[in-house]
This record gives sequence, structure tokens and C-alpha cells, in this order.
Amino acid sequence: MATTEPKHEHREEEEEAAGADDEDTGAQVAPIVRLEEVAVSTGEENKDPLIDLKAKLYRFDKDGNQWKERGVGTVKLLKHKETGKVRLVMRQSKTLKICANHLVLPMMTVQEHAGNEKSCVWHAPDFADGELKDELFCIRFASIENCKSFMDMFQEVAESQKKEESEDGSTAAGLLEKLSVEDKSEEKAEDKTKEGDGKEEKAEDEDAEKKDEKATV
Amino acid sequence: MALPNQQTVDYPSFKLVIVGDGGTGKTTFVKRHLTGEFEKKYEPTIGVEVHPLDFFTNCGKIRFYCWDTAGQEKFGGLRDGYYIHGQCAIIMFDVTARLTYKNVPTWHRDLCRVCENIPIVLCGNKVDVKNRQVKAKQVTFHRKKNLQYYEISAKSNYNFEKPFLYLARKLAGDGNLHFVESPALAPPEVQIDLAAQALHEQELQQALNQPLPDDDDEAFE
Repeated sequence: MATTEPKHEHREEEEEAAGADDEDTGAQVAPIVRLEEVAVSTGEENKDPLIDLKAKLYRFDKDGNQWKERGVGTVKLLKHKETGKVRLVMRQSKTLKICANHLVLPMMTVQEHAGNEKSCVWHAPDFADGELKDELFCIRFASIENCKSFMDMFQEVAESQKKEESEDGSTAAGLLEKLSVEDKSEEKAEDKTKEGDGKEEKAEDEDAEKKDEKATV
Repeated sequence: MALPNQQTVDYPSFKLVIVGDGGTGKTTFVKRHLTGEFEKKYEPTIGVEVHPLDFFTNCGKIRFYCWDTAGQEKFGGLRDGYYIHGQCAIIMFDVTARLTYKNVPTWHRDLCRVCENIPIVLCGNKVDVKNRQVKAKQVTFHRKKNLQYYEISAKSNYNFEKPFLYLARKLAGDGNLHFVESPALAPPEVQIDLAAQALHEQELQQALNQPLPDDDDEAFE
């Protein structure tokens, strides 16, 4: 159920037209590097978007006790076709860089922002920079409806992950045992995943991601 | 070019020098790209601040080391000493302050004395502001000196990627180079214990009541 907002797409086009002065007036300079086309991997392969909306993302700066902008672009909830795990991925428009990237976990809740019905707030271990950081996010949509459909989907996903976890009791127990030694560094977390029993699926998933990574280098 | 204490990377990197009068938005522009935030507060840059800024292109990852130099003369530090080995440059002025455009030739001359034949982009910043002092048609310097010109707004993100895209294309000699999705790596599994969750909940309640910085402005791209 990919939802887009034609209104905003349109606005972008208008801006483009207004600034269409893209004629190159620059001097001829000799290039200093030679770059070859490479295969692009988005990390979104093999995943179905449950939601796809234009939005503006903020992170909470605890020291300054204020919200700070993180980016404007497209937020997606992506469901992995095999594992069923759902990830929130948001990209900055134009540069296509990642503003947010985290798993939607069973205990997560999303709440409406007090001052604005078009925005909502949640807490997540974010992996946007390639290292885990606890972030408090706020996201603002163009309409109340979009905000509602995002919140509903987010909450639905969190609930469904809860069920999956309780159905797979052995995995949950295994994870609980590991709780005390859980390390937040990416490498170690991945190593442990591989050592773990009954988690082949996840290991495969991460292997696939690693291959994707290599393809871009 | 990286600073001695900065890690080097195994993908192409370029030294980008950013110059222009104080208060034109050089630091805000760089910060916008680095973290996404829009800094309203003006704190003049002292000397220079160097920030690595990565982009993903159809030709792989590239990095600009952004040398964000002081615009205010009294904080200039080494001045053109920062330009040495610059491989590309941005000259910024503020379309709401005529003097900052008048000073562009000086910045350009000083830059070209040190860096010969590098791609340069002239940026007219703050085009979101209603009362412009420098209209688009009045900007002609780039035609005389063969620079690329972009009207930008660090506040609204209008054209904010264009200067980097232009420079990357020139440096690589590839007019078709474009930005692509950066890979969204699989986040590692984490378990959030109850104590941490309670703390998060507390923080969340506090943050819920803080207004968004730009709540008033309805439109976003």
C-alpha cells in the first residue's frame, strides 16, 4: 500500500522549473579522477514497503532539550519477504542519504506529538550512521491522515512482532540468555547471530546484506 | 585532502574550500548536510572547520572534506593559507545582503591565486527570504569568470544538493554522475531491557511537549 502525495511531487517540479537555470557556465577543467559505474545496492531489496510517505524527521537533542531537524524525504516501513521483520528506513530527498534506519521492535510505541496532530514521536536504536544510537524521533507529515496511517501501521507492526516472538519461544529464550552479554557493536552482534542456534534465517538475512554491501564497494 | 588527524578513506576524496562573507550561511549549509539540522543561531567561524561529507553516486561513494572558512576578517586565521591544495570551491553570498555579493570578486581573486583551474560554484544563499536585495538577474559575476551559479536555500533545502553534484561531475569528468540511494545496512538485533525502556518512556513524555523548531511553516518539500 504505497501512498504518495501528488501535491508535493508537483511542488517539487515547479521549483525545478523555476530554477531550471541549470546551464553550465563553468570553465572547462580537467577531471582529476576517473570513476567507473558501480552496482547500486539500496539495502531495501527483498523487502515490501508497507508504507511509503513524504515526511520531515526530527531527533531530540537531550542536552539542548529541543527537537532538531534530521531530514526531509520519504519514510518507509519495509517488511522482509522471508524473515517478516520490519524496518523503518527514511531517506533524505535529492541526496538519498539515510536519516533513520531501525527495526520495529515488539515493545515500541508511537505517540502523537502534543502540539501537532500531523506529527508523532517514538524511541528507537537507530543505525543510520552504521552504529547504534538511541534516538528519540519525531516525524511530521503533510496531513493528519498520513500521520494516522503511519502510526496505525507502526503500531500494527510492533504488535505483530510481539506475536511472532511469543510463538517462537525458543528464540526468545535464547535471546534472553544473551541479554546480559549483548554488545552493541555491530561486528560482535553479527558474530553472535551466527553462533546462535535456531536463528539460521536471521544469519542468512545478514549475510545477504553483507553481500549487498560488498557489491557497492 | 584530509587533515593529519583525520582518517583517510579508501574511496575518492576531495578538498573543498568554502569561502564568502561572514553570515552568508557557509557553516549552516555544511551543518545542514552533515546532520540535517538548520542552525538559526549565528556563531562566527574562527579560522576554519573541516568536515568530511560523503555522498553515494552511481560511480561509488565519494567524500568532500569541506573546509568551512571564517568569513569575518577578524577571525580569518590563516586566510588563503587554508586554500592550498584545494581541489574545488564554493563561494557563498547572501541574496538579502548586497555587500556580500559585491565582495564575491575579492574572494574569487584570492582563491584563484592559490588554486588554479579548479571547479568553482557560486551560491546565492537565503533565496527563501521574501525581501531579496540581489535578484537572480543581477547576478552576472559567474558569467564573466566562468563559474557555475546556483540559487540555494539552506533553510528550505532548495537546490541544496546542486553544488556538490556539480563539483562531483566536474571532478570526475562525468556529466551523468548522479546521487543514488546509500545502502541501508541491516541494523543489528538489540534487546531493550525494562529499565532502559522506562527511561525512554520518561524522555519521550518530556519531549512530547517540546514544540518542533519549524512547526509554524507548513510546507516542506
